[in-house]
Amino acid sequence: MKMDTRLEDLIGLEDTKLGFFKEVQIKMRELQESNLKLKEKRQQIQAILDGITDVMAVISLDYRIQSVNHVFYRVFPHPEPQDEFCYRVFRNQDSPCSPCPLSEALETNHVSRQMYIYHLKGENRQFEITASPLRDQRGIPEHMLLLKRDVTVEKEYQAKYYHAEKMATIGLLAAGVAHEINNPLTAICGFAEGLKRRLPRLEERLGDLQNDKKLARDLQEYVETIIAEGHRCRDIVQNLLTFSPRWNASLTAVDLNFIVVDVLKILEHHLKKKLPNAICLDLDPALPRPMGIAAELKQVVLNLVLNALEAIQNQGKITLRTRTRGDDWIVLSVKDTGYGIPEENLDKLFEPFFTTKPVGKGIGIGLSTCYNIIRQHKGEIQVESSAGQGATFRVKLPMP
Amino acid sequence: MPMSVRKFSIPEILFGRGSMQYVGTCARRLGAEKVFFVSDPGLKKAGWVDKVFELLETEKLSWVYYSNVVANPRDHQVQEGAQLYLDEGCDVVVSLGGGSPMDAAKGIALVASNGGKVHQYEGANRIHRPLPPMVFIPSTAGSGSDVSQFAIINDVQRRVKMSIISRTLVPNISIIDPNILTTKTKSLIIAAAIDAIAHAAESYVSKIASPFTEVHSLKSIDIIIKVLPAALETRGIDALEQLSVASTSAGMAFSNASLGIDHALAHSLGGMLDVVHGLIHPVLLPHVLRFNLPACPDKVADIGEIVLGKRYSSDEKTALAGIEKLEEFSHQLNVSTRLRDIITDRASLPQVCRMAVNDSCLLTNPRPATWEEMLQICEDAW
Repeated sequence: MKMDTRLEDLIGLEDTKLGFFKEVQIKMRELQESNLKLKEKRQQIQAILDGITDVMAVISLDYRIQSVNHVFYRVFPHPEPQDEFCYRVFRNQDSPCSPCPLSEALETNHVSRQMYIYHLKGENRQFEITASPLRDQRGIPEHMLLLKRDVTVEKEYQAKYYHAEKMATIGLLAAGVAHEINNPLTAICGFAEGLKRRLPRLEERLGDLQNDKKLARDLQEYVETIIAEGHRCRDIVQNLLTFSPRWNASLTAVDLNFIVVDVLKILEHHLKKKLPNAICLDLDPALPRPMGIAAELKQVVLNLVLNALEAIQNQGKITLRTRTRGDDWIVLSVKDTGYGIPEENLDKLFEPFFTTKPVGKGIGIGLSTCYNIIRQHKGEIQVESSAGQGATFRVKLPMP
Repeated sequence: MPMSVRKFSIPEILFGRGSMQYVGTCARRLGAEKVFFVSDPGLKKAGWVDKVFELLETEKLSWVYYSNVVANPRDHQVQEGAQLYLDEGCDVVVSLGGGSPMDAAKGIALVASNGGKVHQYEGANRIHRPLPPMVFIPSTAGSGSDVSQFAIINDVQRRVKMSIISRTLVPNISIIDPNILTTKTKSLIIAAAIDAIAHAAESYVSKIASPFTEVHSLKSIDIIIKVLPAALETRGIDALEQLSVASTSAGMAFSNASLGIDHALAHSLGGMLDVVHGLIHPVLLPHVLRFNLPACPDKVADIGEIVLGKRYSSDEKTALAGIEKLEEFSHQLNVSTRLRDIITDRASLPQVCRMAVNDSCLLTNPRPATWEEMLQICEDAW
């Protein structure tokens, strides 16, 4: 172990009492490095937290808000929620909510969920609220984590999906029924025509008696009624048949503007007589041509214009507009200033056989036909209206 | 290396009656929360250890007490202490005692902070990491360990006293309280005082003595010669305080100028035969001084002049008369002056001397010595 000691070593000019300065320096450098790492980690976690698009709040067990994320400030109007009671900030109440998702989560020791509609910035938004306990190292809840997710859009999609599903089922049913009726109807109409053709011969054989003439007249009338009603049924059935899926229809590029003009030509006579200045056109000259079946789309436009005319009842305006929306949609809208549609009817509007017209004036098949036609074009038809405020129907077709 | 450059380093020194009361504040100012306190059973019995406990408690410091220390402290005691220091998570070393507890405390501080075995630091400047802060309270006026850069630890297996030399071993604070000397026995005071004289004399003639060490060396001898008899007789605090000054001065001198043959042999005898350090100097010092005389007659004469209070016609005469006076002084103190009185095994002397040749104290001796020459010194002292 021992090395030879020299005189210089004893004097020790180059050696000095070692202090901790260097050690402290090293320690400080280590601490600085680990501090930097921690800071990066914190920023990373903050970035993750900032990436969460739900409203997030940490709430103490006595209902006071400890902290919120930046989404909070975008959604809720409160400028400084820290230390405020959560029920006051979120729901403007003076006491805890009932049921309170926080206390529920605390009692069950599980994540608790609740749906709630907030009235924010003038509209109702539906939120899904999730509350979960934040536990300390021993597993004892210290704070509560509250997440609020705006599910308004999802809920709308969901409703749309249910509606589409229902419509498809009804459509299938209607189409099936129509198909079954079509054959007997052909026979009824055919044989009624046959009867009608034979009626003159029958009339010859009948005498000139009063009774005979009445019989001939009656027969004539009955047969014509059968034929007329038969044709009406045939038309209904034709419409109903559009409900069933089409597998082999060939689509072509369709000029929606041209269709609109064409439909107005059909109605020209009718319009001149009643409302010469009711129609406004706002057509996009550069409108792309969606793929579709012109005759079917014409039927849709005709239906919508007729409905609008019905709604304005001799006064008011109808605006037909074509536009592109974003990169995905071509939109045709028909807006009227008529009596509008009551809210309770909006849901049922496109169902077959739903009508508000008096019996005999309509059977409620027009809009459901439109709905099916547009659906088969992979488009959407929407309505926006409230009673007394007019209505706007929008037909959206996918960009080619 | 320019041999004209010298170094003088000492700890902070608190000196005066009752200065012990600052031990807690000193430790706290050095960052203490849990003090490792080294002392010995004798001081416990005298009540000084309890006094230190009290002072530490006043400062709200906790402490671990270690007293497994004997004269010529053993390597394994150092290792055991260091382990305890680490296990208990101590942060400052406080020692109250003579050379043995203080050297043991240095060894413990060293091993606790630098790791390994105390043996691996034997020699000069082998310590590479700082030690925990040390606050020492000398209980004897002699060892000088509270101001020195030396720690002498007994290697039990090799039966050698290891010298560990490093500026890092200089304690941070030395608290010198003459009050502690009031409970010392007469023989302990004598042994310590003679140890101090040996430190002073050997450092004065050292090859690396400097003006700063020389003044302390001479001052120390002067005080002890004048005051020791009175101190023993009256046990007056004024005299005891003077002894404390003398011992500290001697410590400052030898810590910076190192020692010579007398200490090289004393370490060897202590290591091999476990002879108590203080007993050796009255026996060997006069013979060592005579041996060194040809190399530095003027310096030995300076010592003689201090002892005699006058100078003769030549340095040599003054020197020799002074040495005789020193021997006489020892006689009057009733301590052994022959080697045969303190060891029995004359046959082991050659081995003792062969070992002493390797002692670092020999480096600074003014006259080089072979082991045979050292044996001759021992034979002369027999």
